[in-house]
Amino acid sequence: MLVFAISDKGGTGRSVTSSNIVYRRALQGQDVCYLDFDFGSPTVGAIFRVSTASRGTTKGGMHRYLEGEIPEPTRIDVWTESDRDAIRAKPAGAGQMVLLPGDEGGGEFATFDGEMLKRCVRLFAGLHEQFDLIMVDLSAGRSFAAHLALAATAQLPRIPARWLVFHRWTRQHIIAANGLVRGDHGLLDVGVEHGHDRDALIDRIRFVRTAVLELGSGDFAHLRPAQRSWLNEIDRELRELATRHGVGLTTMLGKVPLDPVLQWREQLISDDDVAGTEIANPETVFAFDDLAKKIVDDTAWEGL
Amino acid sequence: MLIMGEVRTGLLQNSAEIEERDHQAVLGLLAGERVRMSRRPIVYAVSPDLLTGVDCRLPSASRARIRGVGTVVSRSSITGGRVLQGSSYVRVTRGEVNYRLPWSHYLARPGVVEVLGKVSGPDVADGFLAFGAPGEHLDLGSVSDRFMDVVQESPVLDLRAPFRSNRTRLRWVAETGEPGVHFTLGEGQERTLKVTHQGEFSPAVVDLCEDLALHDWLLTTLLTIVQRARIGGASRPEVSARLAPAVDTLLHLWMPGARIHPSLAALWESLERTPGFSRQWQSLVERIRDQLAVNTLALLRETNG
Ligand SMILES: Nc1ncnc2c1ncn2[C@@H]1O[C@H](COP(=O)(O)OP(=O)(O)OP(=O)(O)O)[C@@H](O)[C@H]1O
Ligand SMILES: [Mg+2]
Repeated sequence: MLVFAISDKGGTGRSVTSSNIVYRRALQGQDVCYLDFDFGSPTVGAIFRVSTASRGTTKGGMHRYLEGEIPEPTRIDVWTESDRDAIRAKPAGAGQMVLLPGDEGGGEFATFDGEMLKRCVRLFAGLHEQFDLIMVDLSAGRSFAAHLALAATAQLPRIPARWLVFHRWTRQHIIAANGLVRGDHGLLDVGVEHGHDRDALIDRIRFVRTAVLELGSGDFAHLRPAQRSWLNEIDRELRELATRHGVGLTTMLGKVPLDPVLQWREQLISDDDVAGTEIANPETVFAFDDLAKKIVDDTAWEGL
Repeated sequence: MLIMGEVRTGLLQNSAEIEERDHQAVLGLLAGERVRMSRRPIVYAVSPDLLTGVDCRLPSASRARIRGVGTVVSRSSITGGRVLQGSSYVRVTRGEVNYRLPWSHYLARPGVVEVLGKVSGPDVADGFLAFGAPGEHLDLGSVSDRFMDVVQESPVLDLRAPFRSNRTRLRWVAETGEPGVHFTLGEGQERTLKVTHQGEFSPAVVDLCEDLALHDWLLTTLLTIVQRARIGGASRPEVSARLAPAVDTLLHLWMPGARIHPSLAALWESLERTPGFSRQWQSLVERIRDQLAVNTLALLRETNG
């Protein structure tokens, strides 16, 4: 299955969340890969803590493959090449976890031609042969990468494809996330241009809320009653706003709580971060695990 | 002078074995011509030979700059309606001149790559078997891969294969001499094979390499499935569910040497002694059967007790 991670705004937590989903899916025993399609800033290597690709690779990555300069993009086996001991300890039964990094100094494309599209289609089809889950991290906003992905998936109707729109739980982000999907030149418009059916495409899009403050959680125990009721009121307004903008509970796949570790650093949360050193919250891992299951759970993707 | 090739092997992207009548449509995409089929002891279909023109550097262990011009011969095949192979090879020879001739010259010599300048056969062979960075040299694997991709794109296939799997890459070189064969398992999906055969090279050698690649892929894939099943680690029904695709898809495909010319049969037999493909396969199959039997018994006991 192909899963595309997009967001309207930068810094929403798209890369960190989708990387952690991929990691959880691998731990659940599935073969997974992660493609860095954020051509302008290919930094996903840093999240997986692969130092040879922390700012993209110099050996030929996604960008140069799509340009036709190299026959195959570099693949990095995260289980063996990560610098973190906790990641290198691959548990029995875990699936393959492979990173296809971007190119250091790659830069965004301005447009794409038929040849590039063909290469992209071939790449996706080949990866589908090998991996259960192919996560593609697209850059923020209405990017060229998103166009390419829409065009390629339109040519691959037999490979299941799903889209995750990441956004934070704020007024601006809710409105922007909806705009990215339904707005002018949004995902649906561009998808239809490339031959997708609008209704079928919309059924394949779900929203993911990132870095959410849970009002019921212990973090808020110290608040004064007035503060708490004010926050409750704001949250209610946001929920209403989200529903009005088609970003409400019915189209939400899941949400990830604000995590202290992720606030400081972009990384995979290992089980040791939760149970061993206890620096990360169990709820965060639970949320990633849950998303990793829901991505492939058809009941979470029934037509609305 | 030197003959070298690469076979890539993978799972045909379809939920079921494809029907006999679909082979023509699936493999015929490559060239309008007829697909050759044999039905015994296992359904096997192969495309006609296809030529790809090349003008590029040849691999070299000593990193010498060697330019070769000519054509690569490739074909794709499907075994048991399940396993897809792309196979390409070339005969490397010393050209008579040190400059590139008109294409008609090379087209008249299908499967021959002529070297412009000096060349040492063993140097090219060692460079080839070392699996350098892709894209720098004559890349027979990429050619094989492309033809496989075309097959996988066939609208006849539903792209819902029963499990995910990797394509293996087997590089081989063949020369004349005292008959012998040497197989090595490299990193990841890479394998190498050195074949020495009596008399002139014949396409039967390519058949041998493809058959070996097929069985190495079966073994590699089955091993992965068994490892993932976490026998003893996961619950019984889970283990059974993870082993099931192997039983349905792979077990009956094991037929080493089925299409090998009798003159090369001894080479297969020596591979059966070391590394002993069939021995390892048999022990895996028994392990799977035992697991399934034990799990079924346990299940019966639970439902009855
Ligand atoms: N659940 C979370 N809790 C706290 N911080 C988070 C959470 N998720 C992500 N972050 C932090 O938010 C920041 C942005 O995350 P990330 O880099 O994943 O965003 P992005 O959408 O990929 O950004 P860009 O558009 O720049 O690629 C990072 O510092 C990350 O660690
Ligand atoms: Mg990012």
